[in-house]
Amino acid sequence: MTIQELLAQFGDKYLQALITTYQLTFISFFLATILGVIITVMRVSPIRPLQIAADFYVQIFRNIPGAALLILLVYALPYLNIVLPYFTAVLIATTLIPSSFCSEYLMSGMNTIGAGQIEAARSLGMTFMQMIRHVVMPQAIRSSVLPMTNLLVATMLTTALASQVPLNPTDLTGIVSYINTHAVGGITAFLISAVLYCGTAVIIGQIGNQIDRKVRILR
Amino acid sequence: MATNEQTAIIELKHIDKHFGSLHVLKDINLTVHKGEVVVIIGPSGSGKSTLCRTINRLETIDSGEIVIDGDILPQEGKKLARLRSEVGMVFQSFNLFAHKTILDNVTIGPREVLGTPKKKAEEEAMALLKRVGVENQAKKVPAQLSGGQQQRVAIARSLAMHPKVMLFDEPTSALDPEMIGEVLDVMTELAREGMTMVIVTHEMNFARRVADRIIFMDEGRILEENEPEAFFSAPGTQRAKDFLNTLKERDR
Ligand SMILES: Nc1ncnc2c1ncn2[C@@H]1O[C@H](COP(=O)(O)OP(=O)(O)OP(=O)(O)O)[C@@H](O)[C@H]1O
Ligand SMILES: [Mg+2]
Repeated sequence: MTIQELLAQFGDKYLQALITTYQLTFISFFLATILGVIITVMRVSPIRPLQIAADFYVQIFRNIPGAALLILLVYALPYLNIVLPYFTAVLIATTLIPSSFCSEYLMSGMNTIGAGQIEAARSLGMTFMQMIRHVVMPQAIRSSVLPMTNLLVATMLTTALASQVPLNPTDLTGIVSYINTHAVGGITAFLISAVLYCGTAVIIGQIGNQIDRKVRILR
Repeated sequence: MATNEQTAIIELKHIDKHFGSLHVLKDINLTVHKGEVVVIIGPSGSGKSTLCRTINRLETIDSGEIVIDGDILPQEGKKLARLRSEVGMVFQSFNLFAHKTILDNVTIGPREVLGTPKKKAEEEAMALLKRVGVENQAKKVPAQLSGGQQQRVAIARSLAMHPKVMLFDEPTSALDPEMIGEVLDVMTELAREGMTMVIVTHEMNFARRVADRIIFMDEGRILEENEPEAFFSAPGTQRAKDFLNTLKERDR
């Protein structure tokens, strides 16, 4: 089938698939960022058990393959009487993994801050949380814009995991197998999804660069 | 200012501290009174910075007691944070918050720690920035200022907390020579206005001019304590004599 034929027949399906992929991507990224910040605060907190738990969390989710995590969520959790909707299961997998990377980026963002500013904050009488909120996190986040942009793209690519479970509407990767079971889409069906992934990635990259230029901290 | 009813702002009693096996502070006893300017001098590695930093517990101590205006400095917690806010600290490397404007650098402490309303904090900050001569830099970020300007902002940031005492750890050592004067001028002015100050410095002319008392440290001990004229004209120990001689050599 040609691209025109495919789009004529499955155009609305592609649109739905794109929306599913975007939903998974942006919701995951949003949640991953919040989780990443919390995990990072735990890692630098003065409370040892929190540090250990957070480091452990990062080690686990930075190293587990996405497919393995999704299989656990979909096939293992029911043994504990937890049955998640497919969308939720995918969302959890595509949130947990990026959250550990987010924490890694924030940690290296923090390394740009320098002990001096921390000491200045302490000597003003700030508590740990005040220091995190007003001195540490704002700078860590502002110096992590570029890695976080890459993480957003990586998160989008990770959402292709959704094709491994029966989602309806399915995502940009799932749509390819859908078309190939209903018609002979061949490589062209895949090409359309690839263009949509790449196009989105390019736009994200551009926006990320602009944000970085705006918020970069003069040193 | 030597009256009988001096109030002690800082009392250090039998302070000992180790870094691993290195004994950096050895039985330090020091009382700083209200309005007094104490200058600490001594060779590199003698423990001047460490002493300064223990006063607001940026460094912990092994034993002894630190009393700030009658309150014993606790090990940690909210009370420590509160007592710290009463002790201003100015660092060699300025340490301004890089992501905040000059104005926000000065207001952040009062607003967050003292709960001062924004408008009031900003008015006070502008007055302080004016006092240290950088009021027209208020909207810039630290990296846009010269070292001397940054250090003056750092002083304003500390003053904004209405500290009972100000600590300075080599405030001019990271500055280009032409900027040292502007920072020392601000400090001289502060001293003249009656601020209680503890200053670590290698600027001997400045020390002679503003100090009420010179503390000479060597190898973790206070070896001498004297009025500036007496100390500089007739140091009591050989170590102090040697130290002053090396400084003279250096300045030649
Ligand atoms: N965090 C640390 N860990 C281990 N040793 C330290 C630490 N900080 C300082 N020291 C050591 O403690 C001793 C005293 O250091 P301190 O910085 O107080 O000296 P100083 O009198 O301020 O010297 P300078 O004039 O060079 O600033 C030095 O031998 C130094 O190497
Ligand atoms: Mg020092």
